[in-house]
Amino acid sequence: MRHRDDVLAGDGMLPVLPALRDLLPGGGLQRGSVVTSGDFGLLSMVLVAGAVANGAWCAVVGVPAVGMRAAAEAGVDPDRVLLVAEPGPRWPQVVAALLDGFDVVLLRPPDQPSAQLRRKLEAAARRYGSVLVVAGDWPGAHSRLLVAYAEWTGIGAGHGRLRARRAQVVATGRGAGEQARSAWLWLPGTDGAVTAAVGGLAASAADGHGPDLARLASSG
Amino acid sequence: MRVLVLRCPDLLADEEPGEGSAQAFEPVVALVEGFCPHVEVLRPGVCAIPARGPARYFGGEAELASRLSAAVSRAGHGCQVGVADGLFAAGLAARAGPGGLMVPPGKAPEFLARFPVGVLGMPELCELLPRLGIETLGQLAGLPPAEAVSRFGPPGELARRLARGLDPRPLIPRPPRADLSAALEFDPTPAQSEPVLFAAKALADQMHDRLAAGGLGCVRVRVEVRYSDGTQVSRLWRHDGLLSALAVAERVRWQLDGRSASRPGAPVPLGDDREPGGITLLRLVPDQLVRATGRQLALWGDAVVSDRVARAAIRVQAMLGHERVTRPVPAGGRRPVEQVLLVPFGDAGVPQRPADRPWPGQIPVPSPATVYPAPRSASVTDSVGAVVSVGGRAGLSAAPAQLSVEGDRPRLVTAWAGPWPVTERWWDPPQACRQARFQLVTDDGHAWLAALQDGHWQIEARYD
Repeated sequence: MRHRDDVLAGDGMLPVLPALRDLLPGGGLQRGSVVTSGDFGLLSMVLVAGAVANGAWCAVVGVPAVGMRAAAEAGVDPDRVLLVAEPGPRWPQVVAALLDGFDVVLLRPPDQPSAQLRRKLEAAARRYGSVLVVAGDWPGAHSRLLVAYAEWTGIGAGHGRLRARRAQVVATGRGAGEQARSAWLWLPGTDGAVTAAVGGLAASAADGHGPDLARLASSG
Repeated sequence: MRVLVLRCPDLLADEEPGEGSAQAFEPVVALVEGFCPHVEVLRPGVCAIPARGPARYFGGEAELASRLSAAVSRAGHGCQVGVADGLFAAGLAARAGPGGLMVPPGKAPEFLARFPVGVLGMPELCELLPRLGIETLGQLAGLPPAEAVSRFGPPGELARRLARGLDPRPLIPRPPRADLSAALEFDPTPAQSEPVLFAAKALADQMHDRLAAGGLGCVRVRVEVRYSDGTQVSRLWRHDGLLSALAVAERVRWQLDGRSASRPGAPVPLGDDREPGGITLLRLVPDQLVRATGRQLALWGDAVVSDRVARAAIRVQAMLGHERVTRPVPAGGRRPVEQVLLVPFGDAGVPQRPADRPWPGQIPVPSPATVYPAPRSASVTDSVGAVVSVGGRAGLSAAPAQLSVEGDRPRLVTAWAGPWPVTERWWDPPQACRQARFQLVTDDGHAWLAALQDGHWQIEARYD
């Protein structure tokens, strides 16, 4: 049997997809850290995709509506995912138990956790060397990622279909002196995979019906 | 020898023993055992009993068959019963006609004569015989025995015996189940959980010894705990012959720990006299006995699950219940919600509709990242506020202009595609589904998978 230390030995860093490397300090998910992804969406699953592809196990807690097929297209192997859709009122204990065993726990907290509870779970992540990815708000997170801009391409007024989404992902760190980083991604691309999007804003102008750019008012 | 074969068409599994169907068939076998203790399970969904004794007791074969099918139907399963001389003929009789067939004694060769040789289930022979002009069992039975053996070898002789209504072997009933469970009553009830766990380890040793003595293993173990207030909590744990006595005791501990977590309603304060102090009985029951072959099952699809991962998952199952910790298994379907099957951790799950089929009309890649387990009601209106409708020929009443999800503030639709009509399973009314699908992009940057079904708009998924 594989022990997880064999799976992902190294410098205490879980790998992420190449497109996300520049967004995270150290180019990966630091074991024992907490990372937020804004409200649950593809970005939340994409954050864990690189680690799962390298043999990490991931538990998804509190997200009954997780689109596993989209996650699989982005590189999350469903065979290495456990779902706890309804963790119930004792969800902190559930998360703590999962942090001991799983390399990554993706959590959408059912309610706003108190500062004391947050510290407990942060300590559990540190103790077991796991990463807690939070879809939602988590004061004290080591990194916060969020989708700042998003535009769908390939769809017009009554024709075409959703083909790809160009998104600007902004990452901020905890340190006061830390610079915000940002990257343009295909989130997802035409085949569901997530890659860096290079090129100007005119990507959707081809059909002349590009949707309005929307600034997502999301705090995280 | 008169044989009765009982067949539950809804529980049939392929030759490959599937765990799920075996499990579902078990209650039926238990029912049949109520009629006759010597039951041979031929495969999940099909079992056989010697008919003579029970038929005499219940007043005839027809009476026995009708009582059996009534009992199985009451349990909610379809049922066919066939009675004939020999297992082979009885098996075919069960499949003949909607409720099965009685073949009178001595009439098996005539009954069999009209079947094609394909029913023998011997692929090589079944291919060869028709080429030689032998297409029915009647023709095969008519061959001179010496010719059959010299031309086709031992399989030919076996086939000829079957075709003549002779049985190649007698029934091998499974032995009446000995009680392999291990139980201990506590009097007085222990104040702490340690004595219970200590007892659990001893009981597990006892149960393992009994299983080993019979050359058996169990797929799962049921832990039953009875409390002094009369409540009983029982839970199944995956075993697969892999758990040590200590590991079983650990599961008992998780179950006791989990009790306080899983109780609905009023939270039980720690130190409550009912937990775990009020335990009066602990029983370990091996569930789903199998021959001990030393096989190991991967708990987690094909991936080898590490001990730590499995332990964490099982701990959470102890807190929340077996079904609430699941792993996603890709499945087939046209709607996003059908494309993933959630299988409780530790169970083997095989999707009824495989994912590796074309599924024309499924939503194209990229897939939505949020798939609502139940569709959310919505309203899609055109520029003058009228609900957008789709005609019989997929004509649209007007372009969608606004989307409101579950009464939320309306969002402006900035781009849309559709309608994509889907008509599914029209031959099966409970599962039939007829809808027109749309992709909508709204001014807040979200994209939605909407569907118009029976005049109602619903949101099935969100792209975000």
